[in-house]
Amino acid sequence: MKQIMLRTAADNPYLHKDFHAALSTALIYLEERYGADAVRAYLRQFATAFYGPLKQDILQRGLPALQEHFARIYQIEGGDVTFELTDDALTIHVAACPAVMHMRQHDRPVAPLFYETTRTVNEAICEGTPFRAELLAYDDRTGRSTVRFSRRSP
Amino acid sequence: MISCTEFIAAYSELFKYLDQRGGKEAVLDFWNYLSDHFLGNLHDLVVANGIRGCWLYWSHTLNEEAADFTMELDEDAGEFSITMHHCPSKGRLLAWTHLEPYADYCRHCDVLYRRVLEPLGYEYLYDQSQVAEARCKLVIRRKEQRADEHGRDMA
Repeated sequence: MKQIMLRTAADNPYLHKDFHAALSTALIYLEERYGADAVRAYLRQFATAFYGPLKQDILQRGLPALQEHFARIYQIEGGDVTFELTDDALTIHVAACPAVMHMRQHDRPVAPLFYETTRTVNEAICEGTPFRAELLAYDDRTGRSTVRFSRRSP
Repeated sequence: MISCTEFIAAYSELFKYLDQRGGKEAVLDFWNYLSDHFLGNLHDLVVANGIRGCWLYWSHTLNEEAADFTMELDEDAGEFSITMHHCPSKGRLLAWTHLEPYADYCRHCDVLYRRVLEPLGYEYLYDQSQVAEARCKLVIRRKEQRADEHGRDMA
């Protein structure tokens, strides 16, 4: 039997959630081969390189830039998220992490250090800005989390 | 959370990080690990369905990745191919002007899938000559089928 399939980029939305599992596998590999510090060092290096434009946006517009970034991300991923924004702080409550839930649903291993994709990445995004990031709560099973970005003390 | 729409950047930066730590051998070691620990679904589909398993696997991934491609399956000939007109991964890496892609980024496609398919009796041919334009071509053939065809040609 012969079959042919032709697709253009416009035929489908770009949303391949198995990439979360690939990243999780990568973090497991890094921790096994190089240790936990390597996981954090890699994520910091990635975030510093990739989120440069976001960091510039934060420097120009402050916390609304961060809120817009995360609102867009969780809208794409279908996450249940709420924001509390004041002049000096942004608190983000995530009911369940779409990445963790996808991996749990598909029986993919969740890296023990997967929470670092939130903690370390957010800290790296804030480096060189007037803000700091804190991971206040995190549930390994669901990825439920509370994150706070707040203005650093002078 | 790093969105799955940002994964390709994280992937490319991981290759760079590993290369900085241990050179190309460290990157290759990771690709082998990822193939062994992440591509069990491709392995299982091909074991269960033969060459059609490739069609089933890439029908899922390439559509979710919104790729621009032509995919062909000829079960009688034991052949499957993907002509990637515009790779969504390499395309993104080229479009992100603030990010320098890992120089040998596309080679992971050669290593990961070859490692699954060759032990199952398939020939894996990957043309990377146009990856700088986010284009490539992949052909997977059942080895014994090719030998049969060769035998007929000789007769």
